[in-house]
Amino acid sequence: MLAAGGLAHATAVQVLVTGSSGQSLTDAVVMFEPAGGAKPAIKPPTQVEIAQQGRRFVPLVTVVPVGTKVQFPNQDTVRHHVYSFSPAKKFELKLYVGKPESPIEFDKPGIVVLGCNIHDTMVGWVVVADTPWFAKTQAGGRALLADLPPGAYTLRTWHPDLPAGMPAAEQAVTVGAAAAEFTARVNVAAK
Amino acid sequence: MKPRRLLNSLGGRIVTLFLGLLLAVQGAGFFAIRQSIDANARAQLADQLAVGGRLLDRLLDQNAQQLAQAATLLAADYGFREAVLSDDAETIRSALDNHGARIGASVVALLGLDYSLRAAGGQGAAALAPLRERLAAAGPAARPPAKGQLALVDGRPFQFVVVPMKAPLEIGWVVMGFAVDQTLGDDLRALSGLHLALLAVPPVGAPRVALSTLPVTAGAALAALPAQGLAEFEHGGETLESRVDTLADTPAGALRAVLARSVDEAVAPYRRLQALLLVITVFGAGVFAVGSVLTARRVTRPLQALVHASRRLGQGDFDTPVAGDGTRDDELGELAQAFDGMREVTQRRLYLDDLTGLPNRGQFARRLAQAIEAGPAAVVMLDLDRIKQVNDQLGYQMGNRLLVCVGDRLRRLPLADGAVVARLSGDEFALMLPGADRAEAERAADAVLVVLEQPVRLDDSVVDVAGGIGIACAPEHAASAEALLSRAEVAMYEAKHRRAGRLSYQAEFDSGSATTLTLLGEMRRALQQGELRLFVQPKLHLLDAGLVGAEALVRWQHPERGLVPPLQFIPFAEETGFIHELTLWVVDEAARLLARWQGEGLLPRLSVNLSVHDLMKADLVERIDTRLQRHGVPAQALCLEITESAIMNDPERALQTLRALKGLGCKLSIDDFGTGYSSYATLRNLPVDELKIDMSFVKAMEKVPKDAMIVRSIIEVAHNLELSVVAEGVENGAIWQQLAALGCDEAQGWHIARPLPAAEFEAWARSHRAAPAQTAPALPALHTA
Repeated sequence: MLAAGGLAHATAVQVLVTGSSGQSLTDAVVMFEPAGGAKPAIKPPTQVEIAQQGRRFVPLVTVVPVGTKVQFPNQDTVRHHVYSFSPAKKFELKLYVGKPESPIEFDKPGIVVLGCNIHDTMVGWVVVADTPWFAKTQAGGRALLADLPPGAYTLRTWHPDLPAGMPAAEQAVTVGAAAAEFTARVNVAAK
Repeated sequence: MKPRRLLNSLGGRIVTLFLGLLLAVQGAGFFAIRQSIDANARAQLADQLAVGGRLLDRLLDQNAQQLAQAATLLAADYGFREAVLSDDAETIRSALDNHGARIGASVVALLGLDYSLRAAGGQGAAALAPLRERLAAAGPAARPPAKGQLALVDGRPFQFVVVPMKAPLEIGWVVMGFAVDQTLGDDLRALSGLHLALLAVPPVGAPRVALSTLPVTAGAALAALPAQGLAEFEHGGETLESRVDTLADTPAGALRAVLARSVDEAVAPYRRLQALLLVITVFGAGVFAVGSVLTARRVTRPLQALVHASRRLGQGDFDTPVAGDGTRDDELGELAQAFDGMREVTQRRLYLDDLTGLPNRGQFARRLAQAIEAGPAAVVMLDLDRIKQVNDQLGYQMGNRLLVCVGDRLRRLPLADGAVVARLSGDEFALMLPGADRAEAERAADAVLVVLEQPVRLDDSVVDVAGGIGIACAPEHAASAEALLSRAEVAMYEAKHRRAGRLSYQAEFDSGSATTLTLLGEMRRALQQGELRLFVQPKLHLLDAGLVGAEALVRWQHPERGLVPPLQFIPFAEETGFIHELTLWVVDEAARLLARWQGEGLLPRLSVNLSVHDLMKADLVERIDTRLQRHGVPAQALCLEITESAIMNDPERALQTLRALKGLGCKLSIDDFGTGYSSYATLRNLPVDELKIDMSFVKAMEKVPKDAMIVRSIIEVAHNLELSVVAEGVENGAIWQQLAALGCDEAQGWHIARPLPAAEFEAWARSHRAAPAQTAPALPALHTA
């Protein structure tokens, strides 16, 4: 809990994420990290699943807080060999169907790129956020955060189309009592 | 045949010419082709090298592609990715080593997306620096080229491929380097036949051969090549054409590719072609030489044969046919046929009489000789009468036709096999009967006479044909052909003389007073051996008995018979035409005597008798002139006596001759005037100077008044025509007186002197000169003025 803010105030914040041409970006991830570096306690959600469906990861981009255990149910008839070599989490789930026994715990913040060893085109992202206040933009490029305590934050915006290794866009924002809308621009070219 | 130098013979010339032409043409063609081949081969070589360059590029590309594929596959290997993306440096390196080794990469490295070096295995990581720089320099958005990159690592050529590592998105680059080894060279050589050498050119120092399909010994030559372009170099005794390209140029050094091909190799197939061409040329020339020699022979052999034939013909052999089998129908065949035709014609002319087509004398004699050798044979010889009259009266054409007709009649006689009918000459024909005896010959002769009984019809004229036939048989009458012929001729003349039809030879014919062939021979001999003598009878002028001239008469002193009477040979001589030779002898002898006597002033003129034959001879005048000149006697000193009859025989011709003689300067005299044929009209035209009264009148004039009257008339006519007159046959003084009274100019006769031998005459002339009145015996008193 933030020391500055009270439970009483929680602002609804909207963030519009646009690309370099001003186009709205779907599946962008916005993260409000409190300025100052205080890290509030995060309670990871319990039932996070990234399914493999039609040889695709569904959802494409998943945002979870650190410590979340994610299930990877294979809903295809073919087996998949899910892996990631990302430094944030290196793991692999060797050829399986159905649900693997154990979920994967993402315990480090960062971007984890998922792939399938036998399906080169399967790719997915898991953004492990270091803050409880995060959201993913929907179609239209808007993400909604319902109760964001007011205060100063670093708004970090990331989109899968950003070149690998490139850091997320950062901007300092202040959340007031009133509902606010922020615009984040990322360096993603229009497709 | 003497051998000729090559160029002197037609055959040699033909062969030399054509062979020379062929060799010239072939030689020119050969060299032209050779030049063309060389140029062509070199152009082709340049093309091949260019293609080789492109082939090398393609091979390198293919290599790179294969390597890239292998590298991509490797980079996608899960194990490899897992190892290389682990945090353990050693693991990474060993994974790089291991997997690099799997596909034969000597250099393996992992690069970040920014081309920074993350890890490297194998050797030569240092070489990657320039490569990485190059890649980085291209910009963040650029991707590494799909083509491989060539670079030198420690002076050795390497091919590098850069492939993305995906996990699952690109997280970096895997670089793999493969040494360019001999396989490249071998492949290229196998594909194109070109040599490949890769030269590593260090920044400092000489180029080094990194790879070569040429032997090591070529290294120096290769290093010496220019950096770019086409050049030639020598190696191992061969000339090679090369093309140099720079494949890579880095600060670490440059990599040059040399493609080379042996010029000789490239040209070899053409050389083979040339050799073949040479062989064909030589072979062709050989065949051509043989062919042209044979052709030349084909031409020159027949020509040589014709030359031989000509020689034979020249030597008189007309019997051997000219070479040639008659099957050639080209120009040579025609020539041979023409030659043969010529030979046949000549043969025919030799053997046959032109006019009648009968065999001629030569052929007849030959056949006769053959027959005599085989056994008995008989000759029947025919001489036609009066052919000359027919010629004169009806013309020569008619005369010829008569002869042809007679020839035909004789030809058609039914004679035995092998009998020959021939025309010997003029109006003489003969039959040769092989194996016949005298009886058979006489029967044949009778048959001839029967056949001649029929007159010959010539246009409007009908001519009677008659002749004398002589028969001679071998071996009875003679053993040789010539002898037999002469015996037959003797018999023939005898038959003619006696008008006996046909006569067989008898030995008696030869001797005695008959006109025989032997007599002719003897006369010839007499002429040659000097048996003839000139007797001279003086002529005196009636008024003063001066020696005004003399008549030259020929006498024959036969070694056996003594002095042959003129009547025994002169008429025969006239008949046979020998008289002409006699006359010329007389003229010559007379000229000789005249030369001597004129010089002394002994005798002013000598008279010589001319016969009708002499008058008809075209060369008479010339020959008389020759003889006069030979002895240096003026023509005026010669007088020529001709009888009236002789002149009347052919008045025109006689006139011509007389005029010519007059032109020469000779005196002309008409002998035996008053007898024979004469006409005043002709006499009027004759260029004569004197008349000689025939002795018959002179001898009779003493007793017979008519003769005296005739003599007187003649003297008057002569004087009226301004001719002098001589009386022949003055036998006594009374006649002399009588003649003197009548005004005759000269006298000749036994009263004065008989014909005297030359020496005696000379003596007589001298004494006469001294005392004219006393020389002539019983000369009456002369008027002395």
